[in-house]
Amino acid sequence: MRFYWPATSERWQTQIESVIQMRPLKPFDQRVVAFLQSLSKTILKDHTYRRYPELITLAYWLRRAHIEEMKASFLKRADNRLLRARGVALHFAPSNVDTIFVYSWVLSMLAGNNNILRISGREQQQTDLLIAAILKEIAQHPEVASRTAIVTYEHNDEITRFLSERCHIRIVWGGDETVRKIRSIPLAPLATELVFPDRFSLSAFEAKEVINANESDMKEFVHQFYNDGFWFAQMACSSPRLIAWIGSPDLIALAQKRFWNELNDHLDAHLEELSAAMQVQKLTTGYLLSIDNETTSFMHQQNFTRVQLEAINREMKERHCGGGLFYELELPKLKDLSSLLDDKDQTLSYFGFTREALIDFAKAIENRSIDRIVPVGQSLAFGGVWDGYDLMMHFTRELVIR
Amino acid sequence: MTKSADKQNYLLAELNELTKFHYSHCEPYKQMLSKSNHALEVTTLEEIPFLPVQLFKMLALHSIAENDIFKVLTSSGTTGQQVSKIYLDKDTAKAQTKALVEVMTPLLGKKRLPMIMIDTKNVLKDRKSFSARGAGILGFSNFGRRHFYLLHDDMTIDWDGLNEFLEQHKDERVLLFGFTFMIWQYFYQATLSKGIKLNLKDSVLIHGGGWKKLKDQSVSNERFKDMLFQQFGIQSIHNYYGMVEQVGSIFVECPKGHLHTPVYADVIIRDPLSFQPLPFGEQGLIQVLSTLPKSYPGHSLLTEDLGTIHGEDDCSCGWKGKYFSVAGRIPKAELRGCSDTFAFDKKVGKTI
Repeated sequence: MRFYWPATSERWQTQIESVIQMRPLKPFDQRVVAFLQSLSKTILKDHTYRRYPELITLAYWLRRAHIEEMKASFLKRADNRLLRARGVALHFAPSNVDTIFVYSWVLSMLAGNNNILRISGREQQQTDLLIAAILKEIAQHPEVASRTAIVTYEHNDEITRFLSERCHIRIVWGGDETVRKIRSIPLAPLATELVFPDRFSLSAFEAKEVINANESDMKEFVHQFYNDGFWFAQMACSSPRLIAWIGSPDLIALAQKRFWNELNDHLDAHLEELSAAMQVQKLTTGYLLSIDNETTSFMHQQNFTRVQLEAINREMKERHCGGGLFYELELPKLKDLSSLLDDKDQTLSYFGFTREALIDFAKAIENRSIDRIVPVGQSLAFGGVWDGYDLMMHFTRELVIR
Repeated sequence: MTKSADKQNYLLAELNELTKFHYSHCEPYKQMLSKSNHALEVTTLEEIPFLPVQLFKMLALHSIAENDIFKVLTSSGTTGQQVSKIYLDKDTAKAQTKALVEVMTPLLGKKRLPMIMIDTKNVLKDRKSFSARGAGILGFSNFGRRHFYLLHDDMTIDWDGLNEFLEQHKDERVLLFGFTFMIWQYFYQATLSKGIKLNLKDSVLIHGGGWKKLKDQSVSNERFKDMLFQQFGIQSIHNYYGMVEQVGSIFVECPKGHLHTPVYADVIIRDPLSFQPLPFGEQGLIQVLSTLPKSYPGHSLLTEDLGTIHGEDDCSCGWKGKYFSVAGRIPKAELRGCSDTFAFDKKVGKTI
């Protein structure tokens, strides 16, 4: 086991125990808020972080004004109930979207918990920069420092068992395999668990609105979609991988033409680097999907790959390789999409629908699918409610007084 | 008409026929081409549709009935990796053997040479399903006689057997065959560490299988040849490039160090991102074409190897055909692309 924090040379068990035995703080402790503000400033001040928009996004999320907003919303939901920290939170961060561990950690420390974080340990510049900023600030904030352990270790059931026996809540971000593996290791009897497995996300566009958008709205729309669909190489669970086109076939054909041309121009200007491996992967996936009866056409271009479908199944979702591969469906009404969704579907980002249409759609969903419906451009924006869980509520417990 | 134009016309006609044949005999292939809107009859080699080699790891693709499957070739792969499965009928298997003879005869002559396999005998155990190593050994074994397998199952050298073999054939030209990495590791390194030098000076060594592991140890083709010459005195060392997924594509290194295309095969270099064909001299993804794959739709394949074509029909070695070199495999796609795969938009500040 390797410790990013604390930086002592004691046995790892001793270091973990020292975090565990700390008394938890009250929700929104001023000293925690102060730490988060310093962290935000460190990231925003230093130009090396500018290259990574997800780090800048994180820094904005940590600003005082936003923390105050979260606090107000927390107090409103607490509604005079007495909410306390759970105690020790054990987080497993995913390797593909490395900033997630900070969001999970931040919400948990705002709830007042002591935190043990296992991060992937893969060499990634974003993670290294982020850790550097954290280490720089944490030493100045003893109340946070003494309640935090950031570690990495190769998958090891014994270590995971040791940690799981000592936490009050375990949070697992990762693929289905990771979730299964970690779930097989028992928790302390009193502990609870939040898991965030693989998900699939999609966009829905109203064809008529795409055609009618004026030039600057169209540019903005395409720009927002680019942020959603191309950041994290389309590998985040909320990255849109399917576009549902809504309208009559004629309108859809016109809308598609306009959208893909505009997106192609945008990508020509903004997408500076692609990898050969990803290009080959997309070509392979497209051919592979072509043998499915539900696939009607497959178009591979340098900037993106399109696979048009009549319906979508679970296997197709699992085959998706990221890197700018888009499945497309054509439907007369947004409501028609609801019957094609399954448990795996998480975020729907939209363009051109009225709130009524969105509510109608949401009400028409009868299974466990869809946890977020957001305007295009917001797919990757992390929120305190994720996969249907209000994280702050889960990171705390209620003390009842009658 | 020039020789190269003749070859192009011949290949074009043959490959167009194969596209049509596989289209009507391999349903998945038909789906792939029709859904991606490919023409079956094209006017240049560059327009012939190509399938990524990876696809054969995911799908069983063949244009013959199940009971006409004569043998199944599999690619080598480390444990846990998926392997390609290539289905051959009798005719395709026969064509492959014949093609190998045509390619190798100029180098080895018609007479069969005493042969050392730098491998274990065990590699041939399963006769129905051949690994790339097994298929290579079996294919090349036709050029030799009195085959001697150099390695024990634990990859150590059978010294007694080797000495006996060399004693018996001491004034003869010997053929050695093996996989590049295994030759380096288990033959060269092992003899080097024992301080043993051998005199194989009239012999010829054919090797293939890729440079990945040797590249990790910074061993280039030149160094490989130099070291083997110093250790064993072998002057005639020829690398070959080929893959299980495309029968007939055996590209052998000429005395000038270039790989050459035989008459029934060709290579095209494509831009790794746009897949557009590149001119001679530029490095890109290697596409291989061969007229031999009749039992499965593998006549035009996009590899994951990078290479450069240096010219056609004018290599100073005197051999004909396009001549090229292989630089290695493209790096694997990272699970997370972000900075190393995609550059981000400069506009920051998504509101949350």
